[in-house]
Amino acid sequence: METNILYTHKDLVEQSKSGDRNSQYQLYELYIDAMYNISMRMLGTKEDAEDIVQESFIEAFKNLKSFRYESTFGSWLKRIVINKSINHLKLKKIQLTPLDQHEYHISEEANDQVATIDIIKIKKGIKVLPDGYRQIINLYLLEGYDHIEISEILGIAISTSKSQYHRAKKKLIEIVNTL
Amino acid sequence: MDDFEKYIKENKHQFDEYKADRSKMWSHIESGLETPKTIPLWRKFPLLKIAASILILIGAFSTVNFFITSGFNANNQNNIVHQELKDIDNYYKDLVSFQVQLVKNNPKLQPKDKKEFLSFMDELDEEYETLKLEMTKNLNNEYILEAIVNNYKKRIELIENLLKQINDSKKSNNNDGYIL
Repeated sequence: METNILYTHKDLVEQSKSGDRNSQYQLYELYIDAMYNISMRMLGTKEDAEDIVQESFIEAFKNLKSFRYESTFGSWLKRIVINKSINHLKLKKIQLTPLDQHEYHISEEANDQVATIDIIKIKKGIKVLPDGYRQIINLYLLEGYDHIEISEILGIAISTSKSQYHRAKKKLIEIVNTL
Repeated sequence: MDDFEKYIKENKHQFDEYKADRSKMWSHIESGLETPKTIPLWRKFPLLKIAASILILIGAFSTVNFFITSGFNANNQNNIVHQELKDIDNYYKDLVSFQVQLVKNNPKLQPKDKKEFLSFMDELDEEYETLKLEMTKNLNNEYILEAIVNNYKKRIELIENLLKQINDSKKSNNNDGYIL
C-alpha cells in the first residue's frame, strides 16, 4: 500500500519528465493551491508567495529527472517550496528562530490550556506570532514535519527545534486566549 | 500531543484559505521553462515591442526573398542529383533486364528453375518499386539509398549464381556471365 502512495500521479510525472507541457500543467493544477497556501503561511505576502511558488514549479519541472519516487511527488515539491521560502526569509533577514533573551519574561508556569478552541482565533493567532515562532508552528503543526526534519530545514539542532516549538506553542496559546 | 495540537492537525485543511491566481502564475512558469532566466525587455520599454515587430517583419521579408532567389539554385542542384541517380539506376536496370532475358532464352535451363528464378526477380522488383517511391519523398535518406543498392546487388548475385550453375553443367568457359 505504501509503495502505491509513492507512485501517485506516476504517469503525469513520467510524461512531465520528458517535457510534456500538458502533463506539467495537470500536475500544476493538482498542486498549485496547496503549494500557494504553504508559501503564503511561510511568507505572509501575496507577491512573495507567488514568486516563490512559480520558482519552485520551474525548478521542480527542470529537475524532475532527479525525482526517483523516494517520496510522493507532492512532498518532494512541498520541500522545494519550503526550502525556497526559508531562503527567501533568510535573504530578507527575517529571523527564522527567535532570540532567546527576548522571551525570558515568559514564565514557565504560564497557562498552556486553551479556554476555548476556535479555529478562527487560532488562525489569527498564528498570523500575529513573531516570525520565528510562526515558522516553527507552521512546519510542525501544519506541514507535519517532525523535529528531525525541521532541524534540517532550518539548519538548527533538534533540541533547539523542540524547545523553540514549545515556546512558540505557549505564545500562541497566550495570544489565542486574549483574542 | 495535547488537545490543542490535535485540534489544529485535524483541522489542517481549514488553514488552506488562499486561492492561487492560476493562469497568471502558470504563464510565468511556462515562460520560465521555455526561456530560462530571460527578462522580457518589452515589459520595461514598451517601444521595444514595436521595434521588435518591425525587425521581425524585415527578417521575414528578407528570408522570403532569400528563398525566392536561391530557390532556383537549390532546384538545379536537386536536378543534378536526380539525374545522376537516374543514370545509375538506368545502367543497373539495363544490366539486370539483359541478364533476365539471357536466362529466359537459355534453352539449357529447366522450366522449374526458370520459374523459381523469375519469381525471385519479381519479388525484388516489387521491393525496388516501393523503395523508389519512398525515395521520391525524401532524397537524402541514406537508408533507402543503401536498400536500393542492396536490392540490385541481390539481383546480380542471383543471376550470377544461376549462370554459374549453367556453366558448371555446360563445362564451358565461354559465357556472358563473366561480364560481371
